[in-house]
Amino acid sequence: MAQSKVEHSVRQDREAGGIGSALRSVFRRSDTSVVIATVILFVLFSFSNTSFLTPFNLFNVSRTAALYVFVALGQAIVIVTGGMNLSLGAIGGLTVVVAGWCMDTMGWSPWIGVPLAMLTGTLCGMFNGFIIIKSKLNSFIVTLASLFIFTGLVQGISQGFPYSNIPRDFTILGRNDFLGVPYVFLFAVAVLTALAYVFKFRVVGRRILATGGNLEAARLSGIRTDNIVFLSHTLSGVFAATAGLLWVSRMGSAQPSTGTDWLIISFAVAIIGGTALNGGEFSALGILASAIMLTLIKNGLIMLNVNVYFEQTFLGVIVLLAVSVESIRVALSNRTKRTKTDAS
Amino acid sequence: MKQQHARLFSWMMLVSLMMTMILAACAVPDAAPVAPVAGDAAATAAAPAEAAAPASNFKPVWYAPAPHPYYEDVRKGVEAFEADTGIAVEKQIGPDWTQDSQNQRMEALAAQGFNAFSVYPADASGANGLYEELTAAGANIVNFGTSTAQPTTASFAVATDVKVAAMRAAEELIAAMGGKGNIINVLEVLEDPNTALRKQGIEEVVAKYPDVTIIQEVAGMTSVETAVQKVGDALSANIDKVDGIIATGYTPSVAIAQVLSEYKEKGGERVIHAVGIDTDEVVMQAIANGVMDGTIVQNPYGHGYLSLLLLQYMAEGYKPKADAYFVDAGFAFATKDNLETYSEDILAVTEQIKAELLDKYLEK
Repeated sequence: MAQSKVEHSVRQDREAGGIGSALRSVFRRSDTSVVIATVILFVLFSFSNTSFLTPFNLFNVSRTAALYVFVALGQAIVIVTGGMNLSLGAIGGLTVVVAGWCMDTMGWSPWIGVPLAMLTGTLCGMFNGFIIIKSKLNSFIVTLASLFIFTGLVQGISQGFPYSNIPRDFTILGRNDFLGVPYVFLFAVAVLTALAYVFKFRVVGRRILATGGNLEAARLSGIRTDNIVFLSHTLSGVFAATAGLLWVSRMGSAQPSTGTDWLIISFAVAIIGGTALNGGEFSALGILASAIMLTLIKNGLIMLNVNVYFEQTFLGVIVLLAVSVESIRVALSNRTKRTKTDAS
Repeated sequence: MKQQHARLFSWMMLVSLMMTMILAACAVPDAAPVAPVAGDAAATAAAPAEAAAPASNFKPVWYAPAPHPYYEDVRKGVEAFEADTGIAVEKQIGPDWTQDSQNQRMEALAAQGFNAFSVYPADASGANGLYEELTAAGANIVNFGTSTAQPTTASFAVATDVKVAAMRAAEELIAAMGGKGNIINVLEVLEDPNTALRKQGIEEVVAKYPDVTIIQEVAGMTSVETAVQKVGDALSANIDKVDGIIATGYTPSVAIAQVLSEYKEKGGERVIHAVGIDTDEVVMQAIANGVMDGTIVQNPYGHGYLSLLLLQYMAEGYKPKADAYFVDAGFAFATKDNLETYSEDILAVTEQIKAELLDKYLEK
């Protein structure tokens, strides 16, 4: 009976015509709301301040959003398998310190420093993954412990000192652009596109989603879930290292405090962007829109010159309003379904 | 499977135990008297109190909450004190900025018999509870770098007068702007009571100049990343009307140096004057390149040296004079013209304060 209702609904959709059907299917996607919210905010801020649409501001916004994308990917790739990585920022910080130590203290070329820093981030992710699968401990506990380990290493190696002598060539990626679009943003879009493809069309992507959706069912269906968990934490380390290195490239110096405020950003962008907190769902478009949305809100609050003492309050209220678009979408989607059911 | 887990945990426990033992073995041993450096004989002779024999029961600690370049500069002052007096100081840097960590570590030090503390309080109000317990047990405490909220049982605070420093920074910025124009005021952490004082100082100076306006305030910067983003946003919002940017915190000063350097590199044509605080390499480079006009140079050497010297005097029986609490450690203003000499200016300030310490702040 239920199946026939669905068939009826699909038939109705087809009969309603291509555009209406396409719009409805777009509206059913969980990342639609964050895209809509982002567009609304963009329009509002465009009208509120003439400086908003200046190339200088748009360059800054898109670049920061791109950096948020990498921070969020580091968290999303673990959340999607049902875990979390509390040590994400510390891995980013350690990567930054290793890169700074190589390029500033040792005077090595970025061609040596960057691979070593990437290797550091990757090894940190592998360390987390290894401990989690071997000890069977919750990722919360393991990454909490490794957060302290990595933070200690950051402080121990750097002693709190920044590394300032970063080769200028290394800042090209973080500071330059192609036709006004930052290289970092193009890089982020390319990575998200690749991930969207992997999650939709590649076996490994489907296995990651299956593991996050139901670990036991995935294991019983023959997926080596331990390998998937290990892979997701390794990738988390890779994304954290990438984000850290991009910050160094943008700043032109390696600051040991890098990553200290990534935890909230990583969860906020990933979850608002449609990554299910209990695993099994991932949206590349959602993460991009969510990163742009959060950056827009922070940028917009400064553009609107709000009272600094109440800035956090405004930030919270706008985020709440923006994400409430999702509840409106769900409500409308449910109403459409009910109408169709009643009609059938 | 369970056996495997048990074996794994056993190995992990063993490795952890071994690492703990190795770290314990590598740890710095308990403070022992340090011989004065021979080359510092002249400096020792110049300060009579320093030549006095160390009080036998004087066991000082210097405590900073977390690794930071500022504390490394303060440590140099502490090491100079050790060299001048022959008194060993237990130097501790904590793992984070929380009062909780500071409480635990300082209580442990007190339990080991240390009785004089030169401390940067992690929390201006929260530290008072710890101080009350330590002073009740007979310890002396001197804040360095900042003060605890009043009333406090700390005997002194050796620090920069943040309001005066902010006022000087504002005066220098306005002078660079030719006495007119629009300013962005970049504050650091709003939870810090010093931020309100700095804000107040800047506003008082701006109020004296009718042609100067603060067009934007930005704040809430706990990391350089956030600061770079916010300063960049503020600059974007006001790019057609901003003439000057001022920061009175370390993090936003670094951010201003980064953002303005990039703005100039990308061909930004607007003349934007900037003044910051502290001597991060990025800031000093920006001053040398003409991107920033100057920076307020605090006296971290003095914060370390003078706080320990006050503790030593108190161990010798001196007591704080009535109403004597805040020891202004002074500051200098570094520009492109005095980049080579500003550190000598600030050392001279320390020497002057040392010379008047007994008369101005202490009594038997």
